[in-house]
Amino acid sequence: MSLKDQVALVTGGSRGIGRAIVQALAREGAKVAFVYKGSQPAAEELQKEIAASGGTVKALQGDVSDPQTAATIVARVLADWGRVDILVNNAGVIRDGLFVRMDAANWKAVLDTNLDGTFYFCRAVAEQMALKQRSGRIINISSVAADHVNAGQANYAASKGAVNAFTRALAVELGSRNVTVNAVAPGFIETDMSEAVRNKAGDFIAKKLIPLRRLGKPEDIAGVVVFLAGTAGAYLTGQVLTVDGGLSLGAVTA
Amino acid sequence: MPTEQEIFEKVRTTLVDALNVEEDEVTMKSRLRGDLNAESIDFLDIVFRLEKQFGVKIPREELFPESIFQGDPHFVTDGKVNAEGLKELQERMPFADLSEFAKDSRLEKMEDLFTVELIVKYLQRKLGS
Repeated sequence: MSLKDQVALVTGGSRGIGRAIVQALAREGAKVAFVYKGSQPAAEELQKEIAASGGTVKALQGDVSDPQTAATIVARVLADWGRVDILVNNAGVIRDGLFVRMDAANWKAVLDTNLDGTFYFCRAVAEQMALKQRSGRIINISSVAADHVNAGQANYAASKGAVNAFTRALAVELGSRNVTVNAVAPGFIETDMSEAVRNKAGDFIAKKLIPLRRLGKPEDIAGVVVFLAGTAGAYLTGQVLTVDGGLSLGAVTA
Repeated sequence: MPTEQEIFEKVRTTLVDALNVEEDEVTMKSRLRGDLNAESIDFLDIVFRLEKQFGVKIPREELFPESIFQGDPHFVTDGKVNAEGLKELQERMPFADLSEFAKDSRLEKMEDLFTVELIVKYLQRKLGS
């Protein structure tokens, strides 16, 4: 129970990587509030599951791309639990499509959630962490696609590249207040988001392009988030940790 | 209404907490940046702590109007705050003694205005009204 009684807030917590992060943080003893947008049944199920195993969890509905959501949700967490030690900005969307056909709506939708949503939540906890608590851990879930780009993801790559730059900038500003800010860049993880590509080329990617010879699981990312949130991560800030089984090394296995 | 000494003592406590300095380093004449090594975020922290300590609301840029001349050529000539700028500054900071700054009004000298005494004078006005 390395995070006993700490308060964590996770966006996009009901499914995929976010769900595994919520579970892992709760298992380590943190009180976890998570935000979900549309997946109410999944959110309720997760809430029940964690409560049944003795964890403390709270599911809060909200769209992170709405500028008001973060402030409302952080206020709620502070009212109930008095502090926020860990923020995980995980909510993310894709709107893949070749650029020559990409319309502004699909560009904006991705930036609004992946980048602006991250900004809103960081902004909503910054004063609490930096000035009131003088401690905190911010973990932004980025993507290996920020640097190792796939066709059809100009919007997604731009959003995640910006998240990485933002992570470094924020780390510089909040460092003197004992708030660390890092990003985790997952590679190819088995989630709903990667389903389409997985069905098309999952096997090939795992066997030929990933040195560890398998796709990642949400738990592989959650473990690194727990590490960053805990005492082991105390002296790490402004970094992007790539967690991709070696995919980004760019090797083709022989 | 608290005396100047009472205000000073509470301000000193605030600065000791916010800046991690020793109590005896904080005098009325101490400059926040030059002597007590305050950084930008420390100014926010100080304001935040003063609000709690004294139970007052301190609007942004009221106590430390650090950026009032940012990108305004009207108030600055050759890197110096001009007569117009000094007038503006005095209006914004009626609690400040600008006589020293007026002698050498280079923009980068402005931060020397932010002293412990300035905070005390500001709070005297604030609490008196």
